Amino acid sequence: MKWLTALLRGKKSHTAQKKKAEAGKITDSRMDISQREAAVKSLSLKKSLPETLKLIREVTGAPGDLTIREFRAGREQVEIALLHLEGFVDNKLVENILRMLGLGSFQSPVGKGAGPNLLQEFRRRLLQSAETKEVATVDELWSALTNGCTVILCHGSATGLACDTWGFKYRNIEEPSAESTIRGPRDGFIESFYTNVALLRKRIKTPNLWLEEFTLGSLSRTKVGILYIKGLASEELVQEVRQRVSRIKTDAIMGSGYIEDFIEDNPFSIFPLLFQTERPDRVAGCLLEGRVAVITDNTSFVLVAPMDFPMLLQAPDDYYEKMFIGSFLRLLRYFAFGISIFLPGIYVAVIVFHNELLQAQLLLRIAAVKEGVPFPVVAEVFLMEILFELLREAGIRLPRAIGPAISIVGALVLGDAAIRAGLVSPPVVIIVSLTAIASFTVPTFSFGIAARLLRFIFIFLGGAFGLFGIQFGGLLVLIYMSSVRSFGYPYLAPVAPLILKSFKDLAFRAWWWRMNTRPLLLGAREPVRQPRGQQPRPDIEEEEKEKTGKGRKNDH
Amino acid sequence: MTTEKIHNRQLVFMLFMIRSTVTIASLPVLTTGTAEQDAWLSAIVSLAATLLMILLIGGLAIKFPEETVFEYSRKLLGKTGGTIICFFFLWIFLNTAATEVRIYAELLTIGFLPHTPLIFLVSSMVLLAAVAVSLGVEVIARTADALIFSYIFFIAASLLGALKGFDFINLQPVLSRGFGPVFSSALTPAALGNQNLVLGVLVPTLTTPRKAIPSAALAALLSGIVLILSTITVVGVLGPKIGSSSLFPFFLMTKAIEISRFVERIEALVVIAWGLGIFINLSVFLYCGARGISQLARIRDYRPLIGPMAIFWIILSIHTYDDFLDLIKFFQPRVFFPYSITITVLPYLLLWAAYLIRHAGRGGKKYIRKRRIKPE
Repeated sequence: MKWLTALLRGKKSHTAQKKKAEAGKITDSRMDISQREAAVKSLSLKKSLPETLKLIREVTGAPGDLTIREFRAGREQVEIALLHLEGFVDNKLVENILRMLGLGSFQSPVGKGAGPNLLQEFRRRLLQSAETKEVATVDELWSALTNGCTVILCHGSATGLACDTWGFKYRNIEEPSAESTIRGPRDGFIESFYTNVALLRKRIKTPNLWLEEFTLGSLSRTKVGILYIKGLASEELVQEVRQRVSRIKTDAIMGSGYIEDFIEDNPFSIFPLLFQTERPDRVAGCLLEGRVAVITDNTSFVLVAPMDFPMLLQAPDDYYEKMFIGSFLRLLRYFAFGISIFLPGIYVAVIVFHNELLQAQLLLRIAAVKEGVPFPVVAEVFLMEILFELLREAGIRLPRAIGPAISIVGALVLGDAAIRAGLVSPPVVIIVSLTAIASFTVPTFSFGIAARLLRFIFIFLGGAFGLFGIQFGGLLVLIYMSSVRSFGYPYLAPVAPLILKSFKDLAFRAWWWRMNTRPLLLGAREPVRQPRGQQPRPDIEEEEKEKTGKGRKNDH
Repeated sequence: MTTEKIHNRQLVFMLFMIRSTVTIASLPVLTTGTAEQDAWLSAIVSLAATLLMILLIGGLAIKFPEETVFEYSRKLLGKTGGTIICFFFLWIFLNTAATEVRIYAELLTIGFLPHTPLIFLVSSMVLLAAVAVSLGVEVIARTADALIFSYIFFIAASLLGALKGFDFINLQPVLSRGFGPVFSSALTPAALGNQNLVLGVLVPTLTTPRKAIPSAALAALLSGIVLILSTITVVGVLGPKIGSSSLFPFFLMTKAIEISRFVERIEALVVIAWGLGIFINLSVFLYCGARGISQLARIRDYRPLIGPMAIFWIILSIHTYDDFLDLIKFFQPRVFFPYSITITVLPYLLLWAAYLIRHAGRGGKKYIRKRRIKPE
C-alpha cells in the first residue's frame, strides 16, 4: 500500500508542480515547451529599456548569436538598443542604421521619455529606404529577428522598430544535380523561399501569378506558400490545396516531403501523387497548365499538384529540343520505363516456365552458361538486383572521394568475380545492368524508386507463376493506378480516361504551334492557349506580292 | 451511393474487348458449325444477328435511361414476373463469364502452365475482376481505356504476322454446299450476342444514355470486323479442316507462324491480349451481376456482394464442366442457340410486349415520366 500512496502522491505533486509552473515566470526551468511557447506569446515589451532587454535575455537564454548594441543617441541622449541575429543580417546595412542613429544629426523635438515619437522620427527621417515594421511583443520581436530584421528599441517606448536588413548567405543558384538538361536553362531552386518565388516570377511576369503564404510548424515556423495563376487554375483545386495545407498541425516542417505526406490523396500509394522538382522551368510549365505549386522554405524541392502519370516521364529537354528529337527521346523513355519494371520478371518467367518462347540457339546459349550456377534463376536475379540497389544507395551516401572506389568494387569485384566464380550467369548480369540503366532514364527520382519496388514484386511473380503472374501483377498495378486520383484528377489521364486531345504531349510532343489547347482536365477554365494556324510558312504577304507581281525582284 | 458515370467511348471499348475476346478465344464461327471455308460468311450473318440483339436489348434500355434492366423489368412485368426474368439475366452474367474464364484457364494449362491447377488460374483472374469491381465501374472503364491500344496492337500484330502463311486456296470453293452450313455456323456466334445484355445495366451509368445504341453498334461492328478478318486469316493459314477441328484456332494459327528466324513465337501476344480481354470481360460481368443482386435484394451498395459472388463464380466455373469436351458440347449450335434464345430473347420479347402495351394504354411518355419522378 505504501508504494501505491507514494506513487499517487508523487503523481499529485507532479501535477501540482505543473500548475505552479503555468502560473510561474518564464525563468522557471520546469516549464515544458508548449507552456513556454504559450507564455512567450503573452509577453509584451516593457517601457523601460533595461527591463525589456532583461526579458528578452530570459526568454531566449541570452544566446551568443543575438547581438545587442546599447548606446545613446539624439539631442536628448535617449537610451537605444539595436538587436539582430548574427548570420541573418547584412552587416553593412546594420552599420548604416547604426551610423544614422549614432550621428545624432536629426532634430528631435522630443524630451525625455518620449520613446514612441522618437521611433516615429527614426522611421520617417532616417530609415526611409528600409522596410520597417513595429513590434509590440517578444514573440513578434523574435520572429522579426529570425526574418533577418534589426530591431531598434528605445527607452520609454513599449514598441520596437524592426528594419529589414536581410543578408542570409545562401548557396548560389545552380543546376540541380538530379535533373540536368542539355538544352534547358541551368538554374535550379535553392533553399530560400523568396528566391524560389522570384525564379518563378521571372518566368511568369503576370500580376495574376498569386502567392499565398502560410506559417506551418509550431516550433519550426516554416514558411509555406501556394502559387498559382489566378483565373487559370480551377478555384476548387486552389481551395482544396489551400485547405489541405492549412490543415497541417505539427511542430516542424523540414522539407517538402513532410507536406507531401500530409496532403496527398492516398497515403498507401507507392507512386508519388505529387510532383516534386528542383527546376523552375518545370514548375512554371505546370503553373501555365493550371496546376498549383507548393513552395516550402528551406528546401529546394517544390511540389506541384495535381500530378498525372505522364508527367513523370516528361523531361525538360523534350520541350527544348526539336520536336522529332524530343518525341524520340520521350518514346525511348517510355520503353526504358517498361524495361525497368518488367524485364527481370519476364526473364525469370521465360527461363523458368516458358523456354519454348525463346529461339532454340538463344536457349542453348543461356543453358550452357547457366550450367553449374548453384542458384535457381529467381535467386540469381534477386541477388543481383539487391546488389545493385546496395551499390546505388552506397553511391549516394558515400563521401564523394570514395565514389570511384565503390564503382571499382561494384563493377569488377562483384560483377566479374561473381561470374568467374560461377555464382551468377552472365545473362543475369546483362539483364540486371540493362534494367539499372533503363531505370535511370526516368526523369523523376521518386518515381524511379517506385518502379524499383515493383520490379522485385514482378521477379517474384514471374518466378512463381510465369508470364501469367506478370500479367496478373501488371493488371493489378493498372487497376490500382486507374483508381488513384491526385487532388481529384485521375492519375492515368490522358490515357485513362482517354483524352485524345492531350495526346499531343504524351508519348510524342507536338510542335509548339500545334499545342493550341491546354491539358483538358486542368485547363478547363480556359482551354485555348494560343490561336490556331501558326505553322511556319512562307510569308503570306510575300505570297500575295508574288501573285500580283508587285515587288518582284528583277532577275537581270 | 455516388453516381458513377462512364463515357460512351468507354462503353464501346469495353464491349469491343468483350466481343473480340470470344473471337480470339475459340472462334465459334469456325469451330461450332459446318461452314468450314465459308465461315467468314457466317461471321457476317452473326454480325447482323448481333446488331438485331443490340436493338432488342439497347432499345428497351434507352427507354429507361436512368434505370437498369433489373429495375424496369419488375416495373413492366410486375414483381413476380420481373424477378424471375431478372434471375435469368443474373444467370447469364454468371454463366457466360464463368465459361469464358474456364476456356482461358484451359488454354493456359494446355499451352503454358501444365502443372498449375485450374482453380488457381481461375481464381486469380476472378480476384483481379473482384478488385476492379470493388473500385467501381469507372475504374473498369478507365482500365479499358488504358488497355485498348495494346489490345488492338496485339491482335493486329498476330493477324499481320499470319499473312505470311496465308493461302487463298484454303478459302475456296465459296458456297459449294449452299447456305445451310453457313447458317449452322452462325447460330452460336449469334447467340453469343447475349453478351450485349450488359447494356441493360451499363446504359444508366452512361454520360449520354440516348446514344447507347450507336455506341454498342459501333462496338459490334468493330468486333465483327475483327471476327471476319480473323476467320479469313485462320482459314487461310490453317485450312478449313484443321481450323474447324482445333480447340483454339486463333492460337494455333499464331503458333504456326514463323515470321523470321529470330521472331518465331508470337502466340504469347495472343495469350496476353486474351488475358486482357478476359479481365475486362469478367470485371464487367461481375459488376453487372453484383449490381443486379443488390438491386433485387434492395441493398444500397453492391460492394459487399463481390466477395461471395466471386467465390460462387470460381466454383461455378470449375464444376459446371468436367473437362474441355463438356465446354465444346455446350457451345454446339443445337445446345447453345436454344439456350440463349430462351434465356435472353424470349424475356426481352416479353418485356417489349409489356412495354408496348403499357405505352399504348397509359399514354406513353407520360407514364415513364410519372414513374421516374416518384421516389423509390
